Amino acid sequence: MSGAALGFVRALLIAGLALLFVATAVQAEFKPISPFAGTEVVPGAPSAFARPAAAPFQASGPLGRVFAWVLDKQQSLQRTLAMSVKSLKTDPLRGAITLALLSFVYGVLHAVGPGHGKTIISSYVVANEETVRRGVIISFIAAGLQALTAVVLVGVLLIALGATGLQVNAWSNQLESISYAMIALVGLYLLLSQAKSIWRRWQGDAPVTVIEARDDNGHGDHHHHAQQDHHHHGHDEHHHNHHHAPGEACDHMVDARQLAGSISWRKMMAVVFSVGIRPCTGAILVLVFALTQGLFWAGVAATFAMALGTAITVAVLATLALGSRELALRLGGTNSTWASMVWTTCAIGGAIIILLFGVLMFMASLGPTRPF
Amino acid sequence: MLLRGAQRHRWHLTLALAAAGSIGLAQAADAHPHVWATVHSEILLGANHQIIGIRHSWTFDEFYTAMAVEGLDTNKDGIYSKEELQPLAKVNVESLKDFDYFTFVHFEGEEDKMLPLKPPVDYWIDYDKNVLTLHFTLPLDKPVDTHGKPVQVDVYDPSFFVAFGFATEKPVTLAGADSKGCTAEITLPDPETAADTKALTESFFSQLGPNSNFGSQFAQTATVKCKDSHL
Repeated sequence: MSGAALGFVRALLIAGLALLFVATAVQAEFKPISPFAGTEVVPGAPSAFARPAAAPFQASGPLGRVFAWVLDKQQSLQRTLAMSVKSLKTDPLRGAITLALLSFVYGVLHAVGPGHGKTIISSYVVANEETVRRGVIISFIAAGLQALTAVVLVGVLLIALGATGLQVNAWSNQLESISYAMIALVGLYLLLSQAKSIWRRWQGDAPVTVIEARDDNGHGDHHHHAQQDHHHHGHDEHHHNHHHAPGEACDHMVDARQLAGSISWRKMMAVVFSVGIRPCTGAILVLVFALTQGLFWAGVAATFAMALGTAITVAVLATLALGSRELALRLGGTNSTWASMVWTTCAIGGAIIILLFGVLMFMASLGPTRPF
Repeated sequence: MLLRGAQRHRWHLTLALAAAGSIGLAQAADAHPHVWATVHSEILLGANHQIIGIRHSWTFDEFYTAMAVEGLDTNKDGIYSKEELQPLAKVNVESLKDFDYFTFVHFEGEEDKMLPLKPPVDYWIDYDKNVLTLHFTLPLDKPVDTHGKPVQVDVYDPSFFVAFGFATEKPVTLAGADSKGCTAEITLPDPETAADTKALTESFFSQLGPNSNFGSQFAQTATVKCKDSHL
């Protein structure tokens, strides 16, 4: 990765962490209030209406302890989120700030769960000749689109059409299935196109491409629109077997790079769209909750704050994935066979992951309708 | 050259599969619940301490509640009556069938031999303007004798979309004409014991599919034991 890209990622990470700390502090401040605050339950008086406390979640083994801890934190975060929406009525300013921060944290953590495109986007950028900057842009657009889908879905169905929550749920499940089907198609398309170009190389009948210089990641501006055929330079020989002094190998690294898919806006938009049309369940829950409290705008704000958090998590993961590809490339030093192996693995592996993920999740989404 | 190509091909394939596998594993770790439910269960005892059914009350979190009741105040009087919520209760209990009612009844030590349940009866929803509670009764297909091995009732969602937890107060009670000599207790998974490696491996590999079993490691269990008071 180039210095500029690294600097950008570092800044992003620091900003994210700082926000996380602030938000945790805000949450801590809210905590002493009972989790049922806002429901006007007289303290001490037994009430049939107070939400009963549940036993703590526990699981066996050290891993189970970690899971249980995460679970507990998630639950308390969700409760605090609900509380902050309610507090908007009495203390709008503080409530709004708290809600935005909590939603942001919720987004950061929630994105670790499935359905936010982290697998798809990471696999996509690794399988293709994408840069860190473009990986980050893709993550942000996808998250923004997910937020927009959630807002439009809830806004249109509940506010404009007066539908029920169950119908919103059904729609959201439909969109989820469509999203997974599209992801599978994107994976299939990537796999076929990468396999084709790799097969041609193995056959030795495709002229090898050489690009000017190794202008590393960080810059999204060398588009090799369309296929490698546009770049014939008439190198018919095979580069794999001869040796160079170090430093001369650059050409071959660039050469191997062509094994990955070329970048194109169309491919990128297909990925963004397939991920983005699936509304985030967490966002829908917050939106509907805010709506029932008569504060839809707060839900919209929270949804976008959440999307910002999700985007950061996904962008960081995509960047890590690109970083490991870079690391894998460096491990091989100037060995061009190694480089071509890494690129092929990334190109094919990434496409296979997207395809498998899409197919499996699509099948799972066709299962029986969930009761809750 | 051709041979070399073929060998390399195999290498690439292995690597690609390894990469796909490791991402699958990473995926396994991130199932997380979207709905939280607090469970109260009443064990219905019939003649001679036989368990004839389970009466559940599941109280959901505020977010799910808001989602579920939205639009159901059909007469727009600001009150969600039992009648208005009845269609929701019906949808809930009917779709529960495909999920085994999230209720798994078996003798202690026979976790793989579930005792069959009949479709829910006597169901309704309570709503207190904050959270909703779903009430329903699950009759056992055949009354179960409690004098031999203890009978256990696990309440959990294997896919972990819903996180079920027994209430801290009165999680499980016994109901029926004669419950003398019977006890019902809750056990939580013990963090001190080693993880059930079988369940964990299974959950790892099935996590992506529809048959995920991630939730089983958080399963909370009600154990019912009876001493024969008639002898």
